[in-house]
Amino acid sequence: MRYAWRAAAALAGTLLAAAVVHADSGGSIYLRGTFADGVPVRAQRDQNVSLEGAQAACVNCHRRSGLGSIEGVITFPPIAGPYLFAAHGESLERLGVPFVDAERINHEAYTEASLARAIRDGTGANGKPLNYLMPRYQLDDAAMSDLITYLKGLNVRPAPGVTPRELHFATIITPDADPVKRSGMLAVMEQYFADKNNAVDRTKAPTLFSSHVTMFRVERRWKLHVWELSGAPATWEEQLRQHLAAEPVFAVISGLGGRNWAPVQRFCEQQALPCLFPNVEAPSGDDGDFYTIYFSRGVLLEAQLINSDLQEQSPRPHRIVQVYRADDVGAAAADALAKQSRSAALPVVNHALKAHAAPGELAGALRAVAPDDALVLWLRPPDLAALKSIPPPTQHVWVSGEMGELETAPLPPAWRGATRMAYPVDLPNLRVVRVDFALSWFRMRKIPVVAPRVQADTYLACGLVSETLNHITDAFVRDYLIERVEMALDHRALTGYYPRLTLAPGQRFASKGGYMVRFTDPDGTKLTPLGEWTTP
Amino acid sequence: MSRLGTASACVLAGVVTLAGATQNAVTSTATVAYEPPAVTLVRQDGARVSLLKELDDGRPVLLNFIFTTCSSFCPLASQTFAEFQRRLGPDASKVHLMSISIDPEQDTPARLTEYARQFHAGPGWQHYTGSVAASVATQRAFDVYRGNKMSHTPVTLMRAAPGKPWLRIEGFVTPDELLKDYRTLLASR
Repeated sequence: MRYAWRAAAALAGTLLAAAVVHADSGGSIYLRGTFADGVPVRAQRDQNVSLEGAQAACVNCHRRSGLGSIEGVITFPPIAGPYLFAAHGESLERLGVPFVDAERINHEAYTEASLARAIRDGTGANGKPLNYLMPRYQLDDAAMSDLITYLKGLNVRPAPGVTPRELHFATIITPDADPVKRSGMLAVMEQYFADKNNAVDRTKAPTLFSSHVTMFRVERRWKLHVWELSGAPATWEEQLRQHLAAEPVFAVISGLGGRNWAPVQRFCEQQALPCLFPNVEAPSGDDGDFYTIYFSRGVLLEAQLINSDLQEQSPRPHRIVQVYRADDVGAAAADALAKQSRSAALPVVNHALKAHAAPGELAGALRAVAPDDALVLWLRPPDLAALKSIPPPTQHVWVSGEMGELETAPLPPAWRGATRMAYPVDLPNLRVVRVDFALSWFRMRKIPVVAPRVQADTYLACGLVSETLNHITDAFVRDYLIERVEMALDHRALTGYYPRLTLAPGQRFASKGGYMVRFTDPDGTKLTPLGEWTTP
Repeated sequence: MSRLGTASACVLAGVVTLAGATQNAVTSTATVAYEPPAVTLVRQDGARVSLLKELDDGRPVLLNFIFTTCSSFCPLASQTFAEFQRRLGPDASKVHLMSISIDPEQDTPARLTEYARQFHAGPGWQHYTGSVAASVATQRAFDVYRGNKMSHTPVTLMRAAPGKPWLRIEGFVTPDELLKDYRTLLASR
């Protein structure tokens, strides 16, 4: 939860730059349901059901943005200051306040006094009781004042990177990102953005601003800023700060990482900058964070799938031996698997091959493997291909589908009978229609398919952002973008490589599971699933 | 890790009287004969179980649908179940409370066990997950499926005994109302 606390504290700080000293208390009540000293806030619902602390936090229903949400038949209205202090009939547009579909200003404007009464007693601005779900809070005058200050400070103006005619996005590339994947990803993004802008230019819409009365939406052009990082990871956050200062953007879409994404993830969390579906195999952060959303846990998920699978082997392996390259994501995966295996009291031996290992090093590592060992190979295609000259030392081998490039993994015939592959995406025959959608577009736009998975995922990310923005009339608030992505994802049928994408507040990984498969034949790409889709 | 992980649900005894009328948060009730599907679910203890057998162990059943990362009104529904159990005291194990996840991919048995712990669930109250297909089939059978878990609505279902029809309560039922309905249902068994 550390990141969430830091992020919450950072968010409270950045939003209330000119705020009074008690700002942190307001943010603490809103986001965590505690006073600044950590004491839980207490609240009551009708009858004798009470709640306190995190369960009583305003954020649970009204969301981090304060723009509310709609769940089924229940509307949680926006409570960012402008919505509370605006009266029925006032033009939100004139106030510079965006339309949100949870908005229901059918009441007199609140005053600080009547708002305090609403929060304490559950009586609305019109004197009627508020919805049953709204708790009645026990806040003294100082705490109430802090909370109201916080609500007033919730920023609903267009974020940096949003102009009347343009939406600015960035994509972030780390220096050790694979160059082929990088060029494939950028080709997709550049074409996607070009298509978007061609559509905007073709409509030649007049400069109409959004209004909840007329519901005209300005079509903004999308601009892509490519932020290429260099040098050591310890310098990346500073580089990103400089990029953001020079080129303010609304959000980060896609992007490509190598061994280490943590500095980028930290940066986005600290800057409260949405980072939507980066192409990383070993994600950083967890469900307690807010700003980075991933398609999958990648090799970390595979570590869970493999660990579960090998624990069920009968007879149990004597040891787990893992082989990976020290400078690659396999190290993080091996670490994750080793941690999980601890509870099973199974010894784990890790062989970290040097980045530029001598050809014999892989063979050397495998010579130490016994027939009753479980061997886990976190290797990429060149190393998998090099297994050709090495007989499998055990019949219990697992490989990473993520790293090995799925069914195109060049696993030599002699190894196929002994090997199970973790497979964190849908089976080829089940995903063909969904992925064809992307492949057809690549064909039409003459984009060479050099990295199908990364390119399909990038195309999917762009599409998801586009669809989400269609539902956001003009509320270009970064937190709100994340919240709408969370809600919108479930509706989507076209989910690319993934059988299902689903999110909710408190979930940051949209695809939750994977298969365990083996190669059907000594050569070729045909796969046999070894069970159902599993969510570890 | 859910935001709820750091909270403890504190349920006070005693009645809070408010000036003015108390809100009736139940929007409708109906008696319906549902046909639950013959699916396998996974219980919070990891056991693969037959939904039909879980529903038909002879006891009255209270049923609702939740997901563990829901921060809006599932906690209220679960708190209400917890208070219902608490008030029954030693009779609590005579009723089978069942909460079925509508987000089965996220809600693993481990997460459900933690969720149950947060709400101080007694032994008679079990949480269930399983495959997406099984969860959806169950939701459809009880007419709670809305396509997207974020479109969920508050529903509580109650049945006096196997073979009897279900009482469907839409909206936010209070522990008092739930107890009253339960006793009425048992009396007419």
